[in-house]
Amino acid sequence: MKTVLREKQWAEKYPDLGTAPVPVEPYVSDEHHALERELIFRRAWINVGRVDEIPNAGDYFVRDIAICSVSVLVIRGRDGVVRAFHNVCSHRGNLLALDERGSCPGSLYCHFHNWIYSDTGELIRVPDEENFFDLDKGALGLTPVTMDIWEGFVFVNLAPEPAETLRAYLGGVADQLDGCPFHEMALMQTYKVDERANWKVALDAQNEIYHLPFQHRRIVGESFVMNDRGHCRFQDVNLYNRHSVWSCENNRSRTLTPLESLVFAEENGVRAVRIPQMIGEFDFFVIFPNLVLLLFEVGNATSYISYNFWPLAVNRTVWEIRMHFREPRGMRERLQQEYFKCIIRDALQEDAFAHENIHAGLASGAKSHVILQDEEAPIRYFHKVLEDHVGFYRNG
Amino acid sequence: MAESLLPEAFADLAPWAGWALEPERARTAKKVASSMEELRAFYDALMPRLEAIIAHLDGLPAGDRPAPAHRLYLLTLSLVEVANLVELYRQREGIEACDPLHFDPQH
Repeated sequence: MKTVLREKQWAEKYPDLGTAPVPVEPYVSDEHHALERELIFRRAWINVGRVDEIPNAGDYFVRDIAICSVSVLVIRGRDGVVRAFHNVCSHRGNLLALDERGSCPGSLYCHFHNWIYSDTGELIRVPDEENFFDLDKGALGLTPVTMDIWEGFVFVNLAPEPAETLRAYLGGVADQLDGCPFHEMALMQTYKVDERANWKVALDAQNEIYHLPFQHRRIVGESFVMNDRGHCRFQDVNLYNRHSVWSCENNRSRTLTPLESLVFAEENGVRAVRIPQMIGEFDFFVIFPNLVLLLFEVGNATSYISYNFWPLAVNRTVWEIRMHFREPRGMRERLQQEYFKCIIRDALQEDAFAHENIHAGLASGAKSHVILQDEEAPIRYFHKVLEDHVGFYRNG
Repeated sequence: MAESLLPEAFADLAPWAGWALEPERARTAKKVASSMEELRAFYDALMPRLEAIIAHLDGLPAGDRPAPAHRLYLLTLSLVEVANLVELYRQREGIEACDPLHFDPQH
């Protein structure tokens, strides 16, 4: 076993993190929310999807970044290149693509006056063009949004001039995950969960395992290595330049359910072939601000889940959960994947229930701070990074 | 002659063919609408046959199963759908989770 079961090891590894309580205001303050809009979501690199979603020329998806009131159109052109534009017609500002995803072989047209754009963003046709004044079609293409792709993940940056490249922004987390075969794992299911909670309440609740034996005692509470008093310990915690990862080892003394024993029957004693980018057996990467990549093993195959936490308002979030698995080799693997999908989904339904209660408690004003223990260090780091960006307390 | 609901070797599971549902949301909805007794009866009927079902379905091309075999496949997904409730929660009382249908599956 690689996991060290002793207390307070992460504060020792990262002494600069401190041990102080974390203030509640960032979860509930309108002023903080407005600062997040301007200083985080309008400046950071934001993941809006994957290139796998748009494999063919003319395929597109639309991502509303609601906190910034921005609608982004990501489209693969006939030249095979993926581009991002503001999803807004140059004529009178109507939203162009109205579906969340689709395919427009060759061109996109605005539903208002049929202005037509190519799949590479140029304005190519204007009805009754002769009746306009000095219309320069060449200058009236769709407005590009700065975008870049890392390992198939499409990121956009809404800043007029991004402070750094996507690669520099990702830093150590990209160094760790470069070459990870995300493209070999196909999207199996997406859940959208509309929650009456701040986006950080939802993210923070996922960003620790202290709660597992309690909140999830009925279903996944014993998944990871625990000490002799039944408390979880991370195998490792790594902090990068604003991102983080915690890693766990699976608890091999856990009792399997009858169905689990049956569908995982052939895995007994067979070690998973682990991809070299993984640190533990369950790695939870938080890519600041709102993306989580969660790598884990199902039977003998690496799989991953992504979370995107989309703030709609200070007290409302859409939690988007996407589960990706390798092509199953036969029914048993297919059922292993279904088993994982359902048990994680059901555990996350317990989390979703808790998020709204936590937000209600925080919004009540009863408490000024939340208290974090050592296995909640990733939350402490997230809030440090948050404050580094927002500066809510810096000048106060 | 009408096509049989399930492959011949699994004709005994015909009373459970109503669980041959897709997409995922339909299976979740039936789980939510069923009593614990109904869920347990379905689970108890499927579990002893699962190895045989896996062997049967592995003998067919996954992308091109005849309709009865596809229904059988969907029954296995429904078994997984109800398993956590039957095996782990064991009862609905005391579950602290959001409405399962609040998780909106897109596929």
